[in-house]
Amino acid sequence: MAEHSEITASLRAFQEGYNKNKRLKKMNADWDRVVLVQANDIPSEHTLILRKGELTIQEGPPEKPDIKIISDSETLADMFYGDITPTQPYLNGTLKVLGTEDDVVRLDFISLMIWGE
Amino acid sequence: MKRVVSVSLGSSRRDHKVKVALFGEEFEISRRGTDGNFDQAIALLQELDGKVDAIGLGGIDVYLYAGKTRYVVQDGLKLMQAVHKTPVVDGSGLKNTLERETVYFLRQNTDLLPPKTKVLMVSAVDRFGMAEAFTSLDCEVTYGDLIFSAGIPYPISTLEELEEIAHKTLPDMCQLPFHMLYPTGKKQEIQDEEKIKKFGHYYLEAQVIAGDFHLIRRYLPPLKGQTIVTNTTTTEDVAFLREKGAGHLVTTTPEFQGRSFGTNVIEAVMVALLQKPWPEITPEDYLNLLKQLDFKPRILKLN
Repeated sequence: MAEHSEITASLRAFQEGYNKNKRLKKMNADWDRVVLVQANDIPSEHTLILRKGELTIQEGPPEKPDIKIISDSETLADMFYGDITPTQPYLNGTLKVLGTEDDVVRLDFISLMIWGE
Repeated sequence: MKRVVSVSLGSSRRDHKVKVALFGEEFEISRRGTDGNFDQAIALLQELDGKVDAIGLGGIDVYLYAGKTRYVVQDGLKLMQAVHKTPVVDGSGLKNTLERETVYFLRQNTDLLPPKTKVLMVSAVDRFGMAEAFTSLDCEVTYGDLIFSAGIPYPISTLEELEEIAHKTLPDMCQLPFHMLYPTGKKQEIQDEEKIKKFGHYYLEAQVIAGDFHLIRRYLPPLKGQTIVTNTTTTEDVAFLREKGAGHLVTTTPEFQGRSFGTNVIEAVMVALLQKPWPEITPEDYLNLLKQLDFKPRILKLN
């Protein structure tokens, strides 16, 4: 089990990876989304905000998320640190992504572009 | 008589059956769509296994390529592994030969593809041979893989960048359910109006639009005389393209009784003719057979 602070740190690493990737920012310039990241085994909620290609992170839940990412704390921390890709936990049901299929594919893509080989 | 069946995840509305003679041998070639129903496709493949001469997998790819790297689509592999006795192919072997030849044919025999032609390939990793051929002939190619398969408005303009992005993303994305990456079943019958508004300009900026027909169709705006290079078109598809304002239609696979079948079907026919295990068949085997059969692209003037 990871702690809330570890998830926060993993999200910061994810944000850093994203924001230093100019190409990825360009790719997502049209994609404004508010994403809830919620652990289901500890009290931990974060908000990812994508606006005009820039990614910011806030602690706590958003008022009205477009997408919800829900998993156990360990999976969330591993995923945002890039130790695992979202695909396997998504396929085996450990990770739930509530949003449109297009949004799910796009989130997967962003993660792979940051952490992929 | 040899029987070749294409089992497709696509719409059953496109089902078709023809009889043709090749090298003096009669072939019954049929296409059976399962409307995106994966389990139904598995059951049909198991039913046909050992009872027909070759099977093609349609509406799905098993192998994608970027450079020399091959990526395996897990859903496609599951379908392939449902068949144990009959040779089963997805068309990727033939795409690498036939579709390259089609591009060279257009340059040598028509005025549809002069140097510097602006080409939009709606997806290149499913027909990398065609992508390489356009590039080798000095065309200005936009690879729309991210745009039309992932909804990301990022045109890729070099094969090197395509390979790099593929290397990062495809090993994982190939594990996703195929319907998340490609229109299957009923989605093949309707256009995505929202994305046409968003991405239609990429079509209009091109002179030639190439690639998978279902992807082309789903996001196709009204055109201004562009040439379409694709395969698997029915009579209705030809009428649709004419109505949309396409100038020419070039299909890479030969026409049998008014429609061009998918590369998976033609590859399955070739496998049945060659009588060799699929892993032992080389591009030269396909090329020799194509020459002997005098297969040429079909070019239709539409408008």
